[in-house]
Amino acid sequence: MDLKARLLKDEGKCFYTIGSSGHEGNAVFGKVFPHTDMAFLHYRSGAFFIERSKQVPGTSPIYDMALSFMASSEDPISGGRHKVIGSKMLNIPPQTSTIASHLPKAVGTAFSIDRARDLDIKERELKGDSIVLCSFGDASANHATALSAINTASWITHVGGHVPIIFICEDNEMGISVPTENHWIHESFSSRPGIDYIACDGLHLIDLIIKSQRVEHDCRINRTPIFLHMKTVRLMGHAGSDIEAGYRSLSDIEATEFNDPLLHSARILIENQCLSADEILNLYESYRTRVNHVFEAATDRPKLETAKGVMATITANRNDRNVPPQPGKGSRKTLFGKEYKRLEQPQHMAKLINYTLSDILLRYSNTLVFGEDVAQKGGVYHVTADLYNQFGVRRVFNSPLDETSIIGFGIGFGHNGFVPISEIQFLAYLHNAEDQLRSEAATLPFFSEGQFTNPMVLRIPGLAYQKGFGGHFHNDNSLAIFRDIPGVILAVPSNGADASKMLRTVVREAHVNGRVIVFVEPIALYMAKDLHEPKDGKWNFQYPALDEEIPVGEFAEYGKGKALTIITYGNGLYLSLQAQKEIENKLKKKIKVIDLRWLSDNDIPKLLKVIGTCENVLIVDECRRTGCHGEGLLAQLVSDSKKPLNLRLHAAEDSFISLGVAATATLPSKESIIQNALELVNG
Amino acid sequence: MGKERIVVICPGRGTYSRETSGYLKIHGTTAQSQITWMDEHRKNEGLLTLSELDSQPFKTKVHMRGENASPLIYACSLSDFLSIDRSKYEIVAITGNSMGWYIALALGGALSNENAFSLINTMGSMMSEGIIGGQIIHPIVGENWQVDEVKTKAVLNEVEKAGAYVSIRLGGYVVIGGEQKSLNTLLKKLTTDDKYPFQIPFHAAFHTPLLESVSKKAFGLLSELLFQKPAIPLVDGRGHIWSPFSTETQELYQYTLGIQVTRTYDFTTSVTVAMKEFCPDKLVLLGPGNTLGGSIGQIMIQNNWLNVDSKKAFTNRQNKEPYLISMGMEDQREIVSK
Repeated sequence: MDLKARLLKDEGKCFYTIGSSGHEGNAVFGKVFPHTDMAFLHYRSGAFFIERSKQVPGTSPIYDMALSFMASSEDPISGGRHKVIGSKMLNIPPQTSTIASHLPKAVGTAFSIDRARDLDIKERELKGDSIVLCSFGDASANHATALSAINTASWITHVGGHVPIIFICEDNEMGISVPTENHWIHESFSSRPGIDYIACDGLHLIDLIIKSQRVEHDCRINRTPIFLHMKTVRLMGHAGSDIEAGYRSLSDIEATEFNDPLLHSARILIENQCLSADEILNLYESYRTRVNHVFEAATDRPKLETAKGVMATITANRNDRNVPPQPGKGSRKTLFGKEYKRLEQPQHMAKLINYTLSDILLRYSNTLVFGEDVAQKGGVYHVTADLYNQFGVRRVFNSPLDETSIIGFGIGFGHNGFVPISEIQFLAYLHNAEDQLRSEAATLPFFSEGQFTNPMVLRIPGLAYQKGFGGHFHNDNSLAIFRDIPGVILAVPSNGADASKMLRTVVREAHVNGRVIVFVEPIALYMAKDLHEPKDGKWNFQYPALDEEIPVGEFAEYGKGKALTIITYGNGLYLSLQAQKEIENKLKKKIKVIDLRWLSDNDIPKLLKVIGTCENVLIVDECRRTGCHGEGLLAQLVSDSKKPLNLRLHAAEDSFISLGVAATATLPSKESIIQNALELVNG
Repeated sequence: MGKERIVVICPGRGTYSRETSGYLKIHGTTAQSQITWMDEHRKNEGLLTLSELDSQPFKTKVHMRGENASPLIYACSLSDFLSIDRSKYEIVAITGNSMGWYIALALGGALSNENAFSLINTMGSMMSEGIIGGQIIHPIVGENWQVDEVKTKAVLNEVEKAGAYVSIRLGGYVVIGGEQKSLNTLLKKLTTDDKYPFQIPFHAAFHTPLLESVSKKAFGLLSELLFQKPAIPLVDGRGHIWSPFSTETQELYQYTLGIQVTRTYDFTTSVTVAMKEFCPDKLVLLGPGNTLGGSIGQIMIQNNWLNVDSKKAFTNRQNKEPYLISMGMEDQREIVSK
């Protein structure tokens, strides 16, 4: 298949040439492990895929992989969007695996198995005794994501948790052109706490079978991770474009080719009198002919051609679920206890989010809350207070202090029927795990035509204005990294009532439609009770009725004035509403303030309709000017408005946040909003 | 020029009919020695020989009984198979529909002629005392032979409600198996403008759990030792490929007398897998008759195979350069015969 792919590449008919040659030994894993064990595979796993296919009648792995090589829209997993190894039927979620970013979610999935079984989650996808396989190359073992995942698996085991996963390191001793030094993998991974290490010979079928069966048994019974180190070779270079002779000697290349696993396998079959040399050669040639025909046929199959076609799967979901009924009064009374009476009283945002999470956990039995300090402590800001006592450690738990693993858990739990509601403690901490969201969670429906999704709600307390507390890393005010991730819903509520309704919306979106949601909670508004003056209580809100939600993209309007429209969100709304009265007094005209609430899925035509005859539009954005949401909004309004608008963007300076009294010096303030508004209107 | 690669498709019960009467007499010479052996065997059992049956006027009650129909069809298919010009055509895989699986096993080398005859006779005679349940056939495609998803869902829903089972997925048709009471309900419920649905005479509720007792009995009567590794890849009624060398005969035995007898026979997937995984130059449907031809065309349409996406496209393709060769049709038979 690799050979044919390269020949067709030269004819411009094939679009991928990273092959599996040299790694054929992984076919044994495809044989030994039942297809009910979810497998996260790296890109040299063609043999695994074909062998596992044999467990499920009706599959057509050679043809399907050919379609994938040819980027045909009929490729049953990605629809021609990427050469990925994946299949819903075979329990192989597709991914590109180039930077080992699939390891954290593999650990998350393994961690989910016993949890789903013990909680009897009806949506669960994996059998209670399943294990997870996760393969990667020797060079990839050095990626931060790989180390994070392996460390987390070790940590979970160390604290007594179950994480039945087999890390399969397929060690061909090369990372593109850089050799992996002798024994590096062994020395680096053979003595990790809680992780058994087993070495096997990828060139020897019998050794592979014996070791695979052993680790399969041990992992399934013990529910603990195993590092299976398979030594093998890489044939035909890294990819079709890679000229090995540029960095390896001819004798080295020849020595590797001499160790072709197919030759070793042929030798073993002959030595054991299973087949004769002629039979093996005939078999090889018959497969060559067959592959040639199948690959040639696949070249004629249709391709994606339009942007619409490519984008059709960004938020696709083929696994719709129904929304469970609202919890009854009795169960809520029991759940909330003494707090039940207080549900009627106006509360600040932190409290209302807390109530909402309780009701969500009660309603959706497949939801989980986890993150740093969210359990017994109830979160740094007590937003998750009492949830641990209400729902127990299986549904509300502390994660290790590793953001990559938190999102990895989220993806992994999502693979097994859960709707994870995870928390990254502060916005700045997300940056260290951004790729899990960007390249893994968000891309899965795209690469699988919605056969796999990553339902998740990622709560992130963030943004600035914390009364001089914390400095930059607790007040980070950039949401730029979410702006360009296709398909991710980004919510930024500005008050408790909205937060409750929006949180219900996003959990439903995750549960029913498999969506990935980032829910940014402005920390500075968590405890805010007053708006204009102390004790006015105007930022305390009633807990909304259980059936109240705010649809994604729906914004709020404050005032009907036409002299000026302020468009903002989060802390910006709070400050703009404070400024509104003063601006109206000074202009002697009424203005309008719009709270976007959602920083994705904005309905620009509707926004322009609401702006209506108003000519002056001030966008107030608390995030850094470069890359802030307002920047894009400004461009869209200019581009889409049929009449000239007098527009201005008032955003934070392109600076990090300072400590102490200067913490808000670079940010929009009530005063600066008033000033910008007056300048804009008065010219 | 190399040989053309073909996938051979073996027909199921019901293909030896009034129209194909006398098939062996015309086409049976290539398998004469095997037919003679089978005739001798039947004679010793006190049964009409296949040659006699073939030369007699067709009588539904005689020719469609399992113990007669099954070996007759096997003999016809075997003759056709042996007529294929192997100097021009390489058989890359064999599949079949329903009883066609037993024939596929024989032609692919997983059963000797004698053992195939024994298996086919045994399975065909299982219900000589009275058949269990029955089968009806109903279309799930429109005029263009494209699958009507709404209709399919509705039909399957009715099947479930009536307590019946999907016996065979047959391209644009679904064959439903069940107790007569369930089938009677469905015959009323599923009525359409044309002749469908109708009950297939002398057919039991093949490929449904109602045949568990038959499966059990078959395991008692037939030994695993009848089976051997196939010489040519076989695609079974689930779309699973049994390859030479890697086939475990114990598993093949278990499948053939177990799941194959009591669970849905998915001919649609069998042909789909054969086309995709072997990409043959042609499909060759063995005789007698060519009643599976339409179903195979419909399977091509379901897969948009060779850009065939409608009945018209299929007909055009067949007229221009036939992809499906039915050996039961004289003009097409010539293409692949010696």
